[in-house]
Amino acid sequence: MTSFFRGKISFAFKLVALLLIASVLITLTQSAVAQGEYFIAAFLGITVFLLALTYLTKVSIPLKFFLPGILLLVAFVLSPIIFTVTMSGYNYKTGNIISKDEAILQIQNRAFEPDANGTSFDIKIGRYQAQEALLVSDSVNNAFFISTVRDRIPLNPADLTINEYGVAESAPDFAVLSDSEMANADKLYSGKRFTYQDEYFIALEGFEVGIVSRQVLSFDAEKDQFNNIITGEVYTDNGKGNYAIADNPDQYLEPGWRAPVWFENYTKLFTEERLRGPLISVFIWTVTFASLSVLTTFALGLLLALALNKPIRGRRVYRSILILPYAMPSIMSILIWGGMFNTEFGAINNLLGTDIAWFQNALFAKFAIILVNLWLGFPYFYLVSSGALQAIPSELLEAAAIDGANPRQIFRRITLPLLLQILSPLLIASFAFNFNNFNLIYLLTGGGPRAELDGELAGATDILISFTYKIAFGSSVQDLGLASAISLVIFLLVAGISLYGLRKSKVLESFQ
Amino acid sequence: MITWLRTNAWRHALVISVCLFSLFPLYLVVISSFNSTGSLRLDSFIPREISFANYKMLFNDPAIPYLTWMKNSLVVAGATAILSVTIGSASAFAFSRLAFKGRKTGIQMLLLVQMFPAILAISAVYVIMERVYTFAPSIGLGTQAGLLLIYLGGAMGVNIWLLKGFVDSIPKELDEAAKIDGASAVQTYWLIFMPLAAPVLAVVSLLSFIGTFNEFILARLFLVDMESRTVAVGLQQFIGGQYSENWGPFAAGSIIASVPIVIIFLSLQKYIVNGLTAGSVKG
Amino acid sequence: MTKKRLGAVGVIAAAAIAVSGLFVPSANANNTIVVWADGDRGPNLEKVLKEKGDWVSGYTITVKSFSNFDALKDAFDKATDASGPDIVMGANDWVPTGAKSGKLAPITLTASQKARFTAGQLFDLTYKGKLYGVPVDVNNVAMIYNTDLVKTAPKTFGEMVALYKANKASKGLKAGLCVAGGGMSWGAHSIFSALGADAYQFDSRDKIVYNRSFNGTTFGKNVRTHLLDGKKSNGFLPASDAGCKDNFLDGKVPYAIIGNWEWKDYVAKGFTMNLMPVPGVVANKPGKMFGSVSGALLTTFAAKHGVEAGAKSLLTNFFGSTDGQVRYQKVEGRPPAEKGAALDATVSAAQRGFGAAATLSSLPQIGAFLNNNAGGANYWDSAPAYWTAVLVDGKDAVVEGNKLAAIWRANTTAGKADL
Repeated sequence: MTSFFRGKISFAFKLVALLLIASVLITLTQSAVAQGEYFIAAFLGITVFLLALTYLTKVSIPLKFFLPGILLLVAFVLSPIIFTVTMSGYNYKTGNIISKDEAILQIQNRAFEPDANGTSFDIKIGRYQAQEALLVSDSVNNAFFISTVRDRIPLNPADLTINEYGVAESAPDFAVLSDSEMANADKLYSGKRFTYQDEYFIALEGFEVGIVSRQVLSFDAEKDQFNNIITGEVYTDNGKGNYAIADNPDQYLEPGWRAPVWFENYTKLFTEERLRGPLISVFIWTVTFASLSVLTTFALGLLLALALNKPIRGRRVYRSILILPYAMPSIMSILIWGGMFNTEFGAINNLLGTDIAWFQNALFAKFAIILVNLWLGFPYFYLVSSGALQAIPSELLEAAAIDGANPRQIFRRITLPLLLQILSPLLIASFAFNFNNFNLIYLLTGGGPRAELDGELAGATDILISFTYKIAFGSSVQDLGLASAISLVIFLLVAGISLYGLRKSKVLESFQ
Repeated sequence: MITWLRTNAWRHALVISVCLFSLFPLYLVVISSFNSTGSLRLDSFIPREISFANYKMLFNDPAIPYLTWMKNSLVVAGATAILSVTIGSASAFAFSRLAFKGRKTGIQMLLLVQMFPAILAISAVYVIMERVYTFAPSIGLGTQAGLLLIYLGGAMGVNIWLLKGFVDSIPKELDEAAKIDGASAVQTYWLIFMPLAAPVLAVVSLLSFIGTFNEFILARLFLVDMESRTVAVGLQQFIGGQYSENWGPFAAGSIIASVPIVIIFLSLQKYIVNGLTAGSVKG
Repeated sequence: MTKKRLGAVGVIAAAAIAVSGLFVPSANANNTIVVWADGDRGPNLEKVLKEKGDWVSGYTITVKSFSNFDALKDAFDKATDASGPDIVMGANDWVPTGAKSGKLAPITLTASQKARFTAGQLFDLTYKGKLYGVPVDVNNVAMIYNTDLVKTAPKTFGEMVALYKANKASKGLKAGLCVAGGGMSWGAHSIFSALGADAYQFDSRDKIVYNRSFNGTTFGKNVRTHLLDGKKSNGFLPASDAGCKDNFLDGKVPYAIIGNWEWKDYVAKGFTMNLMPVPGVVANKPGKMFGSVSGALLTTFAAKHGVEAGAKSLLTNFFGSTDGQVRYQKVEGRPPAEKGAALDATVSAAQRGFGAAATLSSLPQIGAFLNNNAGGANYWDSAPAYWTAVLVDGKDAVVEGNKLAAIWRANTTAGKADL
């Protein structure tokens, strides 16, 4: 067996596996380059290089164990985080989401207005003297003409085939596009301006209709500004991601683009009273909620693990029932609990014979949240605690019993400290998870109760992540830049608390 | 009798009351699944009607490929569980057993990374997968393979932490002995560590499986095609209409969907609880 | 050994490049219009397009159905032109955000195309003077009553309260009027309105008045008279919509507000579609309900994908045409927006009933005002908060009513800029 890992067969096997993986990755790299996705291409290229380097040479033994994990983390966890953090330096919000080039393009696309009467014509698209042309039927004036980008050629109705709706079907020298030509027509005809009269031109609105429009805005790339051709107004880059009139900043063109605002999103957190106040109270509740959740779920889980640590009758059945909350899709359970707490029709008030408005009262709502989270979380701690209990060497416990310690002493002096040592990474991870337990809050109380009528921004049960989510993906204005800034602050806070907890619990000291 | 009361009665009393606590909401889900009006039945414990309409809908309506969703969930969650534990356990082993520079920093970084409020990073993940889609449609947006990759990335932090905790509890004597016998780190990992850790890996796989099976925020963004949806996404269709909700089929579907998890749990029960002893000194 | 391995690295690299040369990424020819829709509309659209798919010659149309409406919105918020749709079936309040953010593209309808819709419907999908899609279905609610409990249609709000009080004990009623569809903000607007609190005010010529709100004191007093018993709720109107549908179907609630997307459930339980607006405090002044449209919206991605003209043709030929809407609403079952389709013989009695209720008392759903939160909270958050404050927390109906009026006034004033 040992020889398998050393021998030539193993090496050949490894070589073939790597060859396959590398060829797939290189293919992907090529296609990525072809599509202009250079970041991804670079990542894939480096991946191939690292894979070969790690598994074919002896540069680093630990890297052989780490590499796949690291690569996945970088691709799908680290890089999105870096992107998000970068966005906190931009005014990345509704109205300022796309890049500047894209915004200019969009403004140009919208820079037209239809003529005062909203004139429209039935058209046929085709070719005239090898140019893209429209056969236009002006049914109001019973006039017909061919329009190309350069010319407008009047037609005599007598020369045309006109259908029962008064629309010209064909004209001399005008070749209506065949079905196969229609395939590319969109790219050729959309966005072209077909001649009409004066500054007005005909633009395609679908394949059957042409609209008479004129240009209102024109872009001056050299000066980086838009000019209103009709009124003479000038829109310049206002440095905040919009083209605006210099002396009337409220007059700006849409859409805007994401422009760097550096630390503005961060300073807002401290200077705007509307944000600062709620942030502090929300932070306090977040820490309370996360701590209480970990404590209650761990306590109940451990208690159950202790109770079932002995072969008692029905243990298998008990275990299967206890895992059920974990097996049920959590969205279902949370919403069911939400319904159970309903004041008028909820099962809990029915059961207790009360008429408590659970989610309208801050204290009751908080209690409900902790209770539901206990229901959702205790099976996990039951599972890991029973595993950990088994992992405690029985010799230790036996030795203590021989020394005359009673069960309670054994539990407090030996079992619990050992358990905590084994489980503290999980406890800390659970704290971190609950700190950001968005689903529970969002689906159960939505962060409420909140005194909306008194203008409060955050609800009594809002935790930082649900509060941030409202800012980032709210219904009317989505401010991802500000939300990113808050999330970075959250991150620093929770990281600080957790690192402190780790130091305290001495988990890290087991590393030499 | 008195000893029984002292040693076992409290156990039964505690466990039974917690079992009731567990079952109470689930019972209401069951009642709702037999309710044909599509709302949650939360006001009474006696079902007012027993209608199988919701169950029939899941299995007979050609527009609702429930069994396909089920298969997709099993495939995606199964693959995530197996791959993430395989990859994660290698890293956990290295963190636990190998000496190298930056180990402490590494494990701290790992913990910190998973504390970032991931829900905000979803937009960025979406854009990445969208770009991947433009050159590799088979692993980009809308594919199970792409979702699997995201899950694997996301699961790394948690799994490595979970596994490391258990690896630490496996006595070092064993692999040190192997080292003296001249085994390399890779050999120690495959030949000594893996067999010892198998039960632990089973537990972590199960946790990972359950977590993935129930995940819906990412899945509903990424798996759009009816045929590629997972159960969690597929069932969402019933609740979250523009102004309406239809809870009946959702409840019925959730009940059926939790069956495989319970079965897997039951079949792995021995591993999960007793199996961990394999890691003790006696092993 | 090391040398040999380094050699192997070279071999691998060379071989991998050779193998990878075998797969050449295919260039994709694009003549497909991609439509995104939610879990209800998507599959129905697909069905209709399968029956007849040649709405735009030379193009194939694919429909991508998301699992639900929220998932669709999430994806559309995040999509870029790499994968975004050419047309998205969205709500009217997507228009301002989508247009501001450069995700939606304007279209121009001809005079005859415009004539197929009401001015209000087009206004719903307009942002700063430009139209961003065509109206497809009408979303509204109407009040339905249980004929076993209510013999004649009520004429005033007070009549309904009186009936509830008289039968509360004998019939075991759980509530008088409850909201089964549309929630305590959107669906409940007609109750607000019946009691005197409209989301925004119109002058005598039906023009919006931006700097005025409803009279908070009058509204609060109406709430006191009809919904309260001293400081406590008299049980007529529950503060939440949970359980309403079941209780109505069980005969425990005489009046309910239901949505036009779920009438089939009520018909199945044997209820007649006796739909009407919520009566006001005086006769013949019914509460106004939101009548909003969902539309097929054109995206800026269509131009990027080179299918702009095709997408525009699809909007006018299919989504906005009588034939298209008749075919689609036959499957979907919502009231069609297009005038010709609304008059079509295939439209059901219930679809007509909702349409009739809407013509009696309908209010355009103006996202610019309702989504605005200049007053401290938007309409969607502040409306249910009022019911909670007064019916649950026992706060003063007049004081809270004045707060609500101030919030809505501020939102309307600020929202004017977004019209």
